[in-house]
Amino acid sequence: MALKRRSELAQTVPFNTWRDYPPMNTSVGTMLHNKTGSWRYIKPIYEDKVPACQNACPAGNDIEGWIKFLQRGDYEGAYRHLKREEPFPAILGRVCFKFCESACNRLTLDHSVSIKELERFVGDQVTPSKPHPDLPADHGKTMAVVGSGPAGMSAAYFGRLLGFKVALFEKLPEMGGILRVGIPGYRLPRNVVEAEFEGLHTMGVELFPGIAVGHDISLSELADTYDYVFLASGVHESMRLGLAGEDACPRVMSGLNMLRMVARGRDVDLGRRVVVIGGGNTAIDAARTAVRMGLDATILYRRSESEMPAHPEEIQEGREEGVHFRFLAAPERIDLNDDSTIRKLVCCEMELGPPDASGRKRPVKKPGALFDVETDSILTAIGELPVFDYLSDMVAVQDRVVAVDDALQARSEGHGKAKIFAGGDIVNIPHTVVHAVASGKRAAVAMDCDRIGRSFGDALKEITIGQGPAISFSAYMGWKPVNPVRQNLHVVVDSEKIVYDYFRKAPPVDKKTQPGHLRKTSFEAYSRSFKNREAQEEAARCMHCGRCTECDNCLILCPDISVLVKGGGRFGYAFDYDYCKGCGVCFTECPRHAITMIDEETPLEEEV
Amino acid sequence: MKQVIKGNHAVSHGVRLCRVKVISAYPITPQTTIVEELSEMCASGELDAEFIKVESEHSAMAACVGSSSAGVRSFTATSSHGLLLMHEVLHWAAGARLPIVLANVNRAVGPGWNIGADQTDSVSQRDTGWIQFYCESNQEVLDSVIMAYKLAETIMLPVMLSYDAFFLSHTSEIVDVPDIEAVCDFLPPYQPKLKLDFSDPRMFGGITSSEYYYEGRYVMHRDGLQALEYYPQVCRDFEAVFGRAYDLLEAYRTDDAEVIMVTAGTLTSVSRIAVDHLRQRGKKVGLMKIRMFRPVPVHGWAQILGQAPKVVVVDRNLTASVGGVFAAEVQAALYPLECRPVVFPVIAGLGGRDVTPADIEGVLDYALGHEKPKDVPLFWGLKQ
Amino acid sequence: MQKTFNIPRELMTETELLQPGMLSCQGCAAAVAMKLALKGLGERTVVVFPACCWSIIVGVYPYSALKVPVLHVPFETGAVAAAGVRAGFNARQEKDVVVMAWAGDGGTFDIGLQALSGAAERNDDIVYVCYDNEAYMNTGIQRSSATPVGAWTTTTPAGAVKQEPKKDMEKIMQGHDIPYIATGTVAYPDDLVRKFQKARNIRGTRFIHLLAPCPPGWRIEPGHSIRVARMATQAKVFPLYEIENGEVMVTVVPEREIPVKAYLEAQGRFRQMPEAMVDALQKQTDRKWEDLLKQVKNSGT
Repeated sequence: MALKRRSELAQTVPFNTWRDYPPMNTSVGTMLHNKTGSWRYIKPIYEDKVPACQNACPAGNDIEGWIKFLQRGDYEGAYRHLKREEPFPAILGRVCFKFCESACNRLTLDHSVSIKELERFVGDQVTPSKPHPDLPADHGKTMAVVGSGPAGMSAAYFGRLLGFKVALFEKLPEMGGILRVGIPGYRLPRNVVEAEFEGLHTMGVELFPGIAVGHDISLSELADTYDYVFLASGVHESMRLGLAGEDACPRVMSGLNMLRMVARGRDVDLGRRVVVIGGGNTAIDAARTAVRMGLDATILYRRSESEMPAHPEEIQEGREEGVHFRFLAAPERIDLNDDSTIRKLVCCEMELGPPDASGRKRPVKKPGALFDVETDSILTAIGELPVFDYLSDMVAVQDRVVAVDDALQARSEGHGKAKIFAGGDIVNIPHTVVHAVASGKRAAVAMDCDRIGRSFGDALKEITIGQGPAISFSAYMGWKPVNPVRQNLHVVVDSEKIVYDYFRKAPPVDKKTQPGHLRKTSFEAYSRSFKNREAQEEAARCMHCGRCTECDNCLILCPDISVLVKGGGRFGYAFDYDYCKGCGVCFTECPRHAITMIDEETPLEEEV
Repeated sequence: MKQVIKGNHAVSHGVRLCRVKVISAYPITPQTTIVEELSEMCASGELDAEFIKVESEHSAMAACVGSSSAGVRSFTATSSHGLLLMHEVLHWAAGARLPIVLANVNRAVGPGWNIGADQTDSVSQRDTGWIQFYCESNQEVLDSVIMAYKLAETIMLPVMLSYDAFFLSHTSEIVDVPDIEAVCDFLPPYQPKLKLDFSDPRMFGGITSSEYYYEGRYVMHRDGLQALEYYPQVCRDFEAVFGRAYDLLEAYRTDDAEVIMVTAGTLTSVSRIAVDHLRQRGKKVGLMKIRMFRPVPVHGWAQILGQAPKVVVVDRNLTASVGGVFAAEVQAALYPLECRPVVFPVIAGLGGRDVTPADIEGVLDYALGHEKPKDVPLFWGLKQ
Repeated sequence: MQKTFNIPRELMTETELLQPGMLSCQGCAAAVAMKLALKGLGERTVVVFPACCWSIIVGVYPYSALKVPVLHVPFETGAVAAAGVRAGFNARQEKDVVVMAWAGDGGTFDIGLQALSGAAERNDDIVYVCYDNEAYMNTGIQRSSATPVGAWTTTTPAGAVKQEPKKDMEKIMQGHDIPYIATGTVAYPDDLVRKFQKARNIRGTRFIHLLAPCPPGWRIEPGHSIRVARMATQAKVFPLYEIENGEVMVTVVPEREIPVKAYLEAQGRFRQMPEAMVDALQKQTDRKWEDLLKQVKNSGT
């Protein structure tokens, strides 16, 4: 329903002779006949764009969208909206690397929005096993997923939303992959992971725990039975130090092994003191777990703290819990006692030389700078490796990853009917949970494109968020965005485009965490979720970059009364192009860059 | 009721009787007592009006533009430099078609400073579109205020009435001050057709392109000419109520005159005496009094003056390097006639210099004795 | 959801007294100012325009972009013509009407100063608004006494930019003992609207001085007029305050402070301003700000 055009109210009064003139020099009508829109050469349109957080999220999480629901108090709505792009908020809200927060435009003003905490809050509001409202009818095509870590879970989830029949195979008796046996319980409680599998089950994913592909069932059988296969077996082998004594001592083990045993409730004997070698999250997790076991734990890392791949928060929390850190040190050899216990770990001091392939400075041994470390056990966490035996050479492997194309499809010609895709830590993407989840989504969409005969490359043009590689599942499915306005998935709103003058500083909500000395005494989760009030307060800090919030700035500041409220319960505003002069005040003063100036000649499809 | 009052007081009585609602004025000699008397009347409640004590004459007229645009009877008075200062806004008031009445005390223009009777101030406003009257007596001044509002509010143009400094402004004469009830009947409250109003919000006086401006001015011209028709009606109505008549012009003993003198203001009173003296001595002379100067009663002037072979125009004003304004206008009015009298333009009385009956007799004798003027204009009484 | 300005939407969407089709330049802050002023004063407002940009903006005969009664008057006479209109409405016993003179800086600081001073001295019951674009913009960007030091105008061209500091109208008005004096800009519209709402209910002469950046005259992009107005307050070049019966109160503490230089650099008209003049202006701005704070401290209880 179009708004009544004011220009239709315009009347001009012709004065044909002097007799038509009023007796005094007075007006007889309005200036509405003067359609000043003819002055324009550029014009404004309302166009929502991609906020920096969504652009930074590998999974393309529409953070701003679910925060809007949250602010309205519609927690279930927030949950549903979040799950359109990222299926496991209760998990990611606890363990994500939060790339979003590093990119959050609020950083320029004071601190980023605590998006991860908000996601955790949303994730905790609704049980995953509540029936999913968006499930379509099955189309009969089938998908087998190998590995129930985050990549596999994600492929299964999106596969179901695309109408595939999905079977999810997991080698271990417990589902969850790295989430279950790699990340410790105090960071990610077991019941949270189990609840997500209940959810997948409710969605209709067939779960097969304790079935090892390559052992209980071969990959080629899967490839014959299913239309599509998604490989997501992860990296659970640790790199070896390659030092003498490494294999001889039972108290020298991989950090991953140690975490897996603890997660599965097995006893682990590490003595009183443990040294963890490595700088990634596995090393930190192992050290912090050791501390909770009552051990004295030291992390030994060959570079300096700023180069540690682990998340700085994890490092800090570990430090608070009493983990010791020794930087610029690398193990040289392990000296064992006769009974194969560790006498000492001989290390060498390192110094930083020129950068290596990763861009970080290469650590170099300092000559003659050996020193001893006394310890009872050593955990290695210097890197994880995949195990590819089960592949049986059915897909190409290169440089310890499965070789995949842009659609995450592996090369598997002549091996069964199934098209084989791969994702998670076994392909060349960063080893984070959210990257794994993103790969599952991408592969599922690629499979669907294959199913319907659509070019994935073409689809990417429409659904890539910002510069990519994240994709919008909602765009692929044609689901409407939160704001019923024109959407532009290609333009990212960074801090240059935000008018910070329109936002008041507000510190992030301080959800007090237990102090380190208390945390280390327990394997229970040590931080609680936001309370409602805290979540609202923190959500209010979101600036809604690139997305209209009906703040009325354009309405208030338009010099030509050409911004009209749509009204009648409809969202947002309309420009009155009869009069809009294209001055750009609305564009400049929109706090969040939700208006675009386009060339006057650009054709526009009908307004929503 | 008959009172002995000065010319300025006659004005303030007139303003009171007309129940003016807004007055804005700035003092200047010799208008000051108008301002003072009106202040007292407003203070005592004798006159229910708001008196804006503006800070200049330009502002005085602007305030009247404001209040008159709001549809309220408005008044101001000034003289000489004050009138000149108002010039821009005089144009505006006329163009805005506002029925403002202004009483101007004719005073000379400096430098040097001179406060004597001189008509240069008002004649130099003749292009502003205002209706102009010249008064000969304090009675005429009071009556002219009342008639001015009547005329102004009919044709929607402002009216200026002028009278001589000190000779009228500060000289007492017998004046019959009418009863207010009679004036109320003659001049009902002002009911403008168009004004600033919320029931019909309009914009007054906005930017007007050449597409429209021309006709607006034409209408103003037409309506101004209407004064020549409406004023006689006003005059007759006034006479019926108050028993006094003031035509567009007055012809005195002009029927068989060989020379007709043309004057405005108190010079007319002086000239009457001179004409009578000369008539007694058998000289055929007459007098035409200019009362309405804008618009020019061209037809009336031509009719009266065209009869005589000679016309003497005495201007108590001067456009330097040109001459007297009344003389120029009279000659323009006579131009269309087949048979034009010879015109003798005379300048006299500038800066309040006294012009006596003997002076006028001398001027008339001069005209009688010459076929055509020697000097144009003749500066009567110039120290040679 | 999150509104930036404390202006109820109903106020913006109800009866619009200003309609589009007007002749303001793209981005004209004076147009925004009028829109907001009328929101504050309401529909029983008569507007008196002496010669200024708004004489043109409001429309050409026989049409008007305003839905309130409007009177155009000669350049010098804004304040006194408004006083006349006021007297007229008083005589009509229509006391609830607000008479607003809406003049530019020319018609206020210069040619209209006498009439304004007269009206203020008499405490005439009008709202006098000066929308200040800091030059005679309507006639083509010539300097006025409101033009700030260092600015280019057509009569202070490059090489001879304005040497004299901007006249302090607030100090001049303070010399008149009127009940209400205020400064405002379009960058803080809720502050502006509130001041007009307040002015509506005060009797006597109310003087409101609005900074109205002019894109062609200030050499800024049309879309930047509001932003530059905001920078003026952030740089303390145009602080926002009000003086009610002598009591001085700063009404907007800007979200951040910027040096005067940043404000100047945002506009093309200051491109020829010598460095020494910039420094002097910073010092003068600081001094005037301190004076203002002292006034705040000394006034009131």
